[in-house]
Amino acid sequence: MDSNQNDYHISFFKPTTAMAKWNRNLAIKLILIWAVAVFGFHFLLRAIEKPTPEEAYIKYEQVWENVYVEIASVEEMQTFAHTSLSVLGKVFIKPNEKASLDNAVSWVTYQLADSTQKVLLVEKTKEFEKIKEEITSISDPKYIETKKALSDLGSTILGLQKTDPRTKIISVELVSSEMESFKTENKDMIPVIMPTYLIHNQSFLTDFKFLGFPFHYFYSAVFLLVLFVFLCWLYCVRVDAMNIKLDIEE
Amino acid sequence: MKKFLLPIILLLTPSLLFAAGASTQLEGGFKVGPAIILITILCVFVLVGVVFRAKDTADFYAAGRSISRVGSGMAIASNWMSAASFLGMAALMYGSGYHGLAYVVGWTGGYVLLLILMAGQIRKYGKYTAADFIGDRFYSQGLRATGAIIAILISISYCVGQFGGIGLMFKWILGIDYAYAVIIGGSVVLAYTLISGMLGVTKNMQIQYIIIIISFIIPLFILTFKFDYFWLLPQIGYGSVVSDIVSGVNISEATQMFNALGHDYAMVPAPEYAMPWDPATGQTFFQWIAIAFSLMIGTAGLPHVIQRFYVVPKARDARWSVVWGLFFICILYWSAPAYAAFGKILSANPEVGKLAKDAIVVYTAQLGGVNPLIVGLLAAGGVSAAFSTVSGLLVAGSSAFAHDLYVKIINPKSSPKKQLLMARLGTVLMAVIVTLLALKNWALIAQLVAVAFSLAGVTIFPLFLLGIWWSGSNKQGAIAGLCTGLLVAIIALTYFIAGKEGVTLPYHEFVNYWLGAWYFAWIGAPLAILVNIIVSKITPETPREIRKFLVLNVHS
Repeated sequence: MDSNQNDYHISFFKPTTAMAKWNRNLAIKLILIWAVAVFGFHFLLRAIEKPTPEEAYIKYEQVWENVYVEIASVEEMQTFAHTSLSVLGKVFIKPNEKASLDNAVSWVTYQLADSTQKVLLVEKTKEFEKIKEEITSISDPKYIETKKALSDLGSTILGLQKTDPRTKIISVELVSSEMESFKTENKDMIPVIMPTYLIHNQSFLTDFKFLGFPFHYFYSAVFLLVLFVFLCWLYCVRVDAMNIKLDIEE
Repeated sequence: MKKFLLPIILLLTPSLLFAAGASTQLEGGFKVGPAIILITILCVFVLVGVVFRAKDTADFYAAGRSISRVGSGMAIASNWMSAASFLGMAALMYGSGYHGLAYVVGWTGGYVLLLILMAGQIRKYGKYTAADFIGDRFYSQGLRATGAIIAILISISYCVGQFGGIGLMFKWILGIDYAYAVIIGGSVVLAYTLISGMLGVTKNMQIQYIIIIISFIIPLFILTFKFDYFWLLPQIGYGSVVSDIVSGVNISEATQMFNALGHDYAMVPAPEYAMPWDPATGQTFFQWIAIAFSLMIGTAGLPHVIQRFYVVPKARDARWSVVWGLFFICILYWSAPAYAAFGKILSANPEVGKLAKDAIVVYTAQLGGVNPLIVGLLAAGGVSAAFSTVSGLLVAGSSAFAHDLYVKIINPKSSPKKQLLMARLGTVLMAVIVTLLALKNWALIAQLVAVAFSLAGVTIFPLFLLGIWWSGSNKQGAIAGLCTGLLVAIIALTYFIAGKEGVTLPYHEFVNYWLGAWYFAWIGAPLAILVNIIVSKITPETPREIRKFLVLNVHS
C-alpha cells in the first residue's frame, strides 16, 4: 500500500497495490482449495451415498413377516434371532431398544428349545442372572463356567456356529422373565430398530479401501490434516519469497 | 488375520490382574504407579514455572516476546491440545464414529484460516490481548470492555471441559469421587498458574507438549504391535482396525487374542462406526458440516490462541509458528481416532458394560493390556494436556480482566504491582466459577469445549476478520455485529442449559437442532458479519488515523 496516498483504505476484495492484490489472490486460491477439499468432498459423499443394508438386514426382511404373526419356521426364527443379536452386538443401542431385542432373542430361544432344553434354559438363565448379581469380578470361575454353559446351550438352540462372535453375546442377552412371550410393544419396536442399526450410507468412496482404511475415513482422518499443514507451509513459503523479492522488512 | 502368542500377551498384560472385572473394575481404586508419575510431572511443571516465573506484567501477559518459532509452535500445540483433544476426540469417535471426525477436521482446518487471514496481521497490530485489538481498532472503550468480558466467558466455557477432563483423570488415578477430583485437580492447576504466569507457562508448554505426545503415542505402538497391525506407524496401522470394525471379526480370526478382561478380540460387523452420518449415531450431514465449520471459524477467533501470536518477535515468526503448531497438533490428531477404533473393538463384548466415553483413551489402553505404568503415563499426559490449556486460558482470562477491564477502564493509573495482583485475583475467580460449572457435568468434554468455539466464532472472529481486512468496518458496525452474534449465542445457550436442567422451552427441538450449543456459529458468524457490513455502510466512516494505522502498520 502506498503510504503517500491521501486517503487510506483496506479491502480484501478491492486491493489497491500489486502486493495487496498478490496477497489477496494467494489467500483466495488457498482458501478455495481448503473449502473444496473439506466441504466439497463431503457434499460429494452426501450426493452419491445410497442406503445400503447389512446382510443381517436383508435376512431380517425375509423372515420378519412370518415371525411377527408367529408362523415362522425354525430356520426363520433362528435367522431372526441371529439378526437381533447382530444389533445387540453393536454395543451402543438405547436401553429401551436393547430391552425389545432381549425379549426377541429370549422368546425365540425358548420357542425353539425342546422340552428338556426349555427346562435347562430357564434354569441356567436364572442361575446366571443370580450369579451376575453376586459376583464382584467377571473373572469369577463360577461366573465363567455358568456363562459358557448358557452360551453353548443358546448357540445350539439357535444354530450359531462356534466361530460366530454372536455366541459370546447370547448368554448376557437372555432374560428368564422374557421367554414366555414376545410382547406387542417390543414387536412393534423391531421394524424401527432394525433399519436404524443395519442400514448405512455407503458409496464407492466408503467401500474402497486405502492403506487399510475405508477411503473416505482415510481422507478425513489422515489426508485432510496433511493438506492443512501443506497449505500453511505453502502460504508461509510464498509470503517469505515475496517479501524477499520486494525487500520487505517486517 | 491376526495371530499372537499367548505368552507374549501375558508378559505384556500385568494389568490383567488389576483389571479383572467389568467397567467399574477398570476404574479401580488408588493407583500408586500412575499417582507417582502424575505427581512427578506436576512437580516438574511447578519447578519450571518457578524458575521461569513472571517478573512483571509484561512477562505475565506476553512472556517478553522471547520465544522462538518452533518453541512457539510447540506452545501453540500444547496450549491447544487440551483434554478435548487428548480425551474428548476419541470419546466422540468412540460414541459417534465418523461424526467425531468433524471435530478433528474442524479443529485443524481452522488453522488454515487463522494463518492466511490473521496470524501475521495480528502480530503487526501489536496488542497484548484480543480486547485490546477490538478496543483500539473500533475506537471504543465500551467495545474493549465487552471484548474483555467475552474473552473471559470464552475462557470459562473452554475451561469447564478441561476441568471435567482433569476431574476424570484424577478420579481414575486417585480412585475418588468425580466431585472431589474436580476440586483437587482444579486447585492444583490454579496454584500452578498463579506461581508461574505466562513466561513459566510458555516454557512449560514446550515440556508439556513432549510429555503429552510421548504419553499419547507409546500405548498406540503397543496396541498395534500387540494386535498384529502395522505398528511402525500406528496412525496408518489403525486403518485396518477400522475396516475390521466395519466387517466384523470372527472368533476364528482372533485366536489367542483377548482384551484385559479375557474377551475374544471378536465382534459383529459395525459399519455404523465408520459410515458417514449413520442413522445409528443419531447425527446428520448438516450437523457434521455445521460442527466442522463452527470449529474452524472458532479456532480463528479464540482469544487464547490469538494471544499466542503476541509472544513471537515478528509477524514472520507468527506465521511460521502456526505451521509448526499445526504440525505438532496433527501428530496427536492423527493418533486420537486410533484409540477410538481400538476402544470400540476391545469393548465390543456387552460384559464390558458402559464405559465413560471421556475416559475411553485410558480404558482402551487398559483393555488392550498395556502395562499399568504406561497407562498411568497416559493418564498423566491427559492431565498435562488439560493443564497446559487451562493455564493459558486462565492467563488469557485474567489478562482480559486485569489489563482490559481494570487497567484500561477502571484504574488506568494503577501500579504494576497492583495490576499483577488483579490478574491473579481474576485467575482465582475464574477457577472457582469453572469448578462449579464443571461439577454440573453437562456434556462430553469435546462438546463443552466446542461451545467456546462457537461463542468465539460469533463474537471475536467477525470483529477480527472485518477489523483486519476491511477498513470500512466501523464502531457502529462492530457493535451491531457483536450484538447479533451474542443474540444467536444467548438463544442457543439458553435452550441448551434449559434442556440440561429439564426445562422445555417453545420449539426446543427445532432450536436445539438448528442452533446446537456446539455449532451455532454456522449461522451466527455469517449473520454477525453481514450486519456489521450493512451497519458500517450506513454510518460514519472509520476515523482516518485508524485506517492509516491499518494501511501503514498492518498491511504494509
